[in-house]
Amino acid sequence: MQLERFTYDNKIVRNFGIATLVWGIIGMTVGLLAAMQLFKPAMNLGNQYTTFGRIRPLHTNAVIFAFVGNAIFMGVYYSLQRLLKARMFSDLLSKIHFWGWQLIIVAAVITLPLGFTTSHEYAELEWPIDIAITIIWVVFGVNMFGTIFKRRERHLYVAIWFYIATFVTIAVLHIVNSFELPISFLKSYYVYAGVQDALVQWWYGHNAVAFFLTTPYLGMMYYFLPKMAGRPVYSYKLSILHFWSLIFIYIWAGPHHLLYTSLPGWAQSLGVAFSIMLIAPSWGGMINGLLTLRGAWDKVREDVTLKFMVVALTAYGMATFEGPMLSLKQINGVAHFTDWIVAHVHVGALGWNGFLTFGVLYWLIPRIYKTELYSKKLAGFHFWIGTLGILFYAIPMYWAGFTQGLMWKEFTSEGLLKYPNFLATTLQIIPMHILRSIGGALYLAGVIVMTYNLAKTMRSAKLVANEPAEAMPLTKEVIDHSAADKAWHRILERKPIKFMVFSLIIILIGGMVEMMPTFTIQSNVPTIASVKPYSALELQGRDLYIREGCVNCHSQTVRPFRSETERYGEYSKAGEFVYDHPFLWGSKRTGPDLHRIGGKYSDAWHYNHLVDPTSMSPGSIMPPYPWLVEQKLDISTTASKIKAMQTLGVPYAIGYDQKANDDLIFQAAQISAELKQNNIKVKSDREIIAIIAYLQRLGTDIKANKEKIPTN
Amino acid sequence: MFNQIKDLAGGELYLISSLIMFMVFFLIVGIYLLKLNRKHIEVMSELPLTENQSTAHEED
Repeated sequence: MQLERFTYDNKIVRNFGIATLVWGIIGMTVGLLAAMQLFKPAMNLGNQYTTFGRIRPLHTNAVIFAFVGNAIFMGVYYSLQRLLKARMFSDLLSKIHFWGWQLIIVAAVITLPLGFTTSHEYAELEWPIDIAITIIWVVFGVNMFGTIFKRRERHLYVAIWFYIATFVTIAVLHIVNSFELPISFLKSYYVYAGVQDALVQWWYGHNAVAFFLTTPYLGMMYYFLPKMAGRPVYSYKLSILHFWSLIFIYIWAGPHHLLYTSLPGWAQSLGVAFSIMLIAPSWGGMINGLLTLRGAWDKVREDVTLKFMVVALTAYGMATFEGPMLSLKQINGVAHFTDWIVAHVHVGALGWNGFLTFGVLYWLIPRIYKTELYSKKLAGFHFWIGTLGILFYAIPMYWAGFTQGLMWKEFTSEGLLKYPNFLATTLQIIPMHILRSIGGALYLAGVIVMTYNLAKTMRSAKLVANEPAEAMPLTKEVIDHSAADKAWHRILERKPIKFMVFSLIIILIGGMVEMMPTFTIQSNVPTIASVKPYSALELQGRDLYIREGCVNCHSQTVRPFRSETERYGEYSKAGEFVYDHPFLWGSKRTGPDLHRIGGKYSDAWHYNHLVDPTSMSPGSIMPPYPWLVEQKLDISTTASKIKAMQTLGVPYAIGYDQKANDDLIFQAAQISAELKQNNIKVKSDREIIAIIAYLQRLGTDIKANKEKIPTN
Repeated sequence: MFNQIKDLAGGELYLISSLIMFMVFFLIVGIYLLKLNRKHIEVMSELPLTENQSTAHEED
């Protein structure tokens, strides 16, 4: 048998590395801007494209799918080739993957500020982009499996299992959470409504964290950490247990995002139970990583890449301990909707994803350029300023979270809410938000320093675009009849497709057990007779609410706590959301819940509040929305929207799509007349009229028959 | 478009079958781990470190 000579493709690794740096800086800068908007509304820059509601999704998409996404592909393309002793399957597919992914990100950068959003968190991109994501993801999969098939190493190392699980699960999550009915080029409605939509979204949302921010990074950890430390992983057995239990358990935990909502109680409990169990595999992975450094801690003092890895693993451990704790109902009751969750997420994002990415970049770039890092001193500086940044970010946000969560629930001795005005609780935490921005700025400064350092490194040498390597080809598999070799896992390790199918089955189990009952068992939701579809004007207003990203700051689900029913009104029932395509429950209360806002204030109040929030709520940090008065409502879409809703089962009368605009114009004229009585002159064809109509409708249906309100 | 759930009365099958699936899954993983071959483990865990050497395949 002859040794085969081949080359590793380093150019694609370098390209993904550069994309990671560029999008990292852009995504974090947008994040910093959004953070500053929360204490200085002028930072919304006075136009609709840069208001918080539109750029917050831009920040999350940029850091998750652009920064982390490119880092994943960089790590996978580097480690996969070497672990399999083979060049990537197709250079062309690698290129299509790279440029396709960057184009998708550019499409997100354009469409999100323009207000084209599905409103599903971390899945905001509209349907044509969803299709593009699917195609590029398949290109990635074909390229990965093509490489696996032509490998020169029989066994698939544990890192590759994580990559395979990532590929297959993200595909499933993305497709299921993208069932949308298009009504125009960049507008669609989810086929799911209300409670189901919430369940699907958070099954997706939670597992996007699991299979985009966690499993590929664990794969990278299992490859790069032993390389950096120069010793094998602490326990390979533990890595097997870690892998299977992590992918099996993670997929069940989504409902912990919906505690105390109108999601059926059994699904909430199931989500909590599996979330608690998640500590075991998560900590198994963290311990396995940290113990890999046993006897090599002296290297940590010297080697900045290892420093980044240690903090990354520690942050992973903290975030995965905190996550299960937050899923306990009692803790969730205080923490949910507050900055506590933002702190939790950023410990994971800045610590685990960010620092692991930095460690890998510092390790990998000099290697593919066959040179030394330009400045170890600057890398050390980056480490410390980054760590400080995380602390300055997380600690104030925890403080803000505890403060606000407790203030919302505080009663006076007379049994009244101590802070009945929501705004008081927002203003209280402004200093914390300022500190958080400083933390974010420190962290971003570190990334800029790193980019300079790596750019200098790259310029000091030439990329080894095709790194020569050699390995023996794989011999035809010898069938061994010894018992040990028949172990199912060893067989799976050599059969990548079977491995993928098996992983797929494992991740489908949890999702199906949770979702099938909601899709197949008759009834639900005590249907509420008085809940009727939205009027045409309200439906248009709802789409404006989605366009402006109101859901980023306002929830629409009142939990059954006295502190909430006192503040907002009757708690939310599943039956109230049956026509909500998509659901708009939200996940954060930067402003108050809006589910019972309908009828609470006059139309004039809403008008003034939207045009200048501080006129009605002095000190409010909500951005003004003057363009809603300037812009004419586009009613050419009404018919197609009503038709789409009919297709999705919303009971509008047959042929209503043709008459809907008559009703719309009539209702708009009524609101305009009502405003006129309050000396507000505004034409009835303006967008603000539609959004007022929607806000005034919210949560009012069950007020009509208060005696018959069902218990759920 | 879809039906929604009211309660799980009569749907205990879901609960019991999910519990069984959960237990069986971990039993299989547990049994497998106990039966793993030490030599195989060593070869696997060395994989990232041996990538630059021309492969010394584990004898299957």
